[in-house]
Amino acid sequence: MSGTDQVRAVGRRGFLGGASALGAAGWIAGFAGGWVLRPNWAHAAGPIKMGIATDITGAIAPSGNANWQVAQFAVEQINASGGILGQPIELHLEDTASDPKIAVGNVRKLIQERHVDVVLGGITSAMRQAIKDPIVNRGRTLYIYPQLYEGQECTKFLFNTGPSPAQQCDRLIPYMIKTLGKKRFAMPSANYVWPQLLNKYARKVIEANGAEVVFEEYYPLDQAEYSATIGKIKDGKVDCVFNTVIPPGLQPFVKQLYESGFQKNGGVLSCVYYDENLLNYHPANEMDGLVSCLDYFQAIDDPFSKTLQEGYAKRFPGTKYLFTAGSAATGMYRGVKFYEAAVTATGGKLGREDVAAAMDHAVLKEGPGGGAEMVPGHYHAKMNMYIAICKNDGGKTRYEVIDRANMVDPREC
Amino acid sequence: MDFAIKFAFDILAFTSVMVLIVLGLGVIASMMGIFNFAHGELVLLGAYTVYLSDEHGLGAWPGVIAAPVVVGLVGFVLERTIIKRFYATPIIAMLGTYAIGLIIREIVRGLLGGHYKSIPEPISGAFSVGGLDFSIWRSFIIATTLVVIAGSWLLLARTSIGLRVRGALENPMLARACGISTGRLYAFTFAFGAALAGLAGALIVPLYQLSADIGIRFLVQAFLSVMLGGVGTFEGPVLGASAVGAMASGLPWVVLPVLADPLVFVIALAFVRLRPQGFIAAGRV
Repeated sequence: MSGTDQVRAVGRRGFLGGASALGAAGWIAGFAGGWVLRPNWAHAAGPIKMGIATDITGAIAPSGNANWQVAQFAVEQINASGGILGQPIELHLEDTASDPKIAVGNVRKLIQERHVDVVLGGITSAMRQAIKDPIVNRGRTLYIYPQLYEGQECTKFLFNTGPSPAQQCDRLIPYMIKTLGKKRFAMPSANYVWPQLLNKYARKVIEANGAEVVFEEYYPLDQAEYSATIGKIKDGKVDCVFNTVIPPGLQPFVKQLYESGFQKNGGVLSCVYYDENLLNYHPANEMDGLVSCLDYFQAIDDPFSKTLQEGYAKRFPGTKYLFTAGSAATGMYRGVKFYEAAVTATGGKLGREDVAAAMDHAVLKEGPGGGAEMVPGHYHAKMNMYIAICKNDGGKTRYEVIDRANMVDPREC
Repeated sequence: MDFAIKFAFDILAFTSVMVLIVLGLGVIASMMGIFNFAHGELVLLGAYTVYLSDEHGLGAWPGVIAAPVVVGLVGFVLERTIIKRFYATPIIAMLGTYAIGLIIREIVRGLLGGHYKSIPEPISGAFSVGGLDFSIWRSFIIATTLVVIAGSWLLLARTSIGLRVRGALENPMLARACGISTGRLYAFTFAFGAALAGLAGALIVPLYQLSADIGIRFLVQAFLSVMLGGVGTFEGPVLGASAVGAMASGLPWVVLPVLADPLVFVIALAFVRLRPQGFIAAGRV
């Protein structure tokens, strides 16, 4: 840490201590019942209270902790450069514990006890569905949802800052059909809402581009054996697998697919939630050639994104919770910055109607993967989308970005 | 034809995984009358041992070899300290072992930080026979399963230790009167069952991801296998596991995959209704 950074951080040290301990040992946080990260300076009007509701514990804790760290990182940056029009941001965390039942109560605390001005968070669609009503309707508070998802969320005062199915499919699927020459698609999927709605959209794009879907199939989330699926892939001469199976059913499927020689015989495995974290879930040889499409990859050549990564690495040295697109971390960063832009536009007014009206046409010049802008009246953001292919360099995996589409329309609402 | 062979191989490989997991559970249930709900976590500890050895740069092999020993010792300590208090109360034994399992599972979850970890196969790659590729590690699992079944059967059915174990099971009072230390035998049997679970965990973890829930996803199917095969015999659970494994991997070919899981249960329960003692009647080892 450089000298100037140290001076800036000293005042916050006491508060940060607690928060970084939480990040390091996220699974203890459940007992603590919420955390506050206060700015080190005050403003006459008091701080802007930002609530983060994310999964610090439970099955998707790795993503939740990444979200929390990115939120701290973004807010500290804003506070260090003078806050929003001179008002600092105070962060309030509640653990949603990967469990919608627990989440609803904890989110209510943010609203009723802490009186936050905005809530960001929720990763799975089930979580969003569970907490949006306590936040938006009963809680009368602005809600920002950061994860890539299945679309069709058009609730007033709920802004989505992650990519929609259109953003993930509109460029990727034509690429696989026209450039890679794939014609026969299989859609193996986990049996819940995200794969079902994403597949519905992807199927339309596949058929519109002259290819066909050989089968679309849903599995229990923890299925351990896929030989029947592999059989259908071989039998149906499938040359492109559009996968939406998720962990824990994911790894046995990918392994059996690899063992069947699918990739060796020219097949392409594609998966639109694969970021840098997911690659570590598999041996490198099974990941070779995987095609993904996201709003950000660490490998993209963008100076601002590189500065962000460096800052994040410095703030959380050696962290196991990466700043990546698939775990909603990029959406979280964008959400915080969109909120900053909106409050700046209202001239510091924090009322929900005022901020939402400003948010509706907010623009970010910079961000992970480039800038983003809200599509007025549509609650979703245009952003750059990237197609990347996974390369195996002697047992080490990395993404190679092969395509960039500027300001892709979310086509939602 | 090619496809049929591959399909048969895959089913055989998965069936072997099921049998490996069920074997330890079956031994403890049949020999001691304890339904060990911590079995999934003993499998997890076996898998975790491999992960530790891989993480410390030793590679996976030392972990695979150490896993049955380590988990066997854990089983021995558990039996001596906790399980031995449950023999008179099988229902409380279920709850007690469930609690033990929960504690182990959440500790490992904490140690892993909630992440999934990929463990490479100790021998990766495939070999070709007649133009068909077969995964070496899956073949290794099939072979090991056969060896373990044969070894366990010989130990329990053909050695004097096995005779004493069976005697202690049949009539503990008489066994003690004959000078057999039933306490020590139970500890040995439980440790043996735990070691089998540890071995199963170590062998299967390269096929799946290491996560705290690796054991629990197989646990219910494992209990179903024991029930289907019949409690009280050695062969019963093995046959039960083969049937459940083959159905679980074969059924998705003919019905919707989401229906396959419940269908396995329906078929197994219907069978048990018609033949309550399972495939093989109790009392004969």
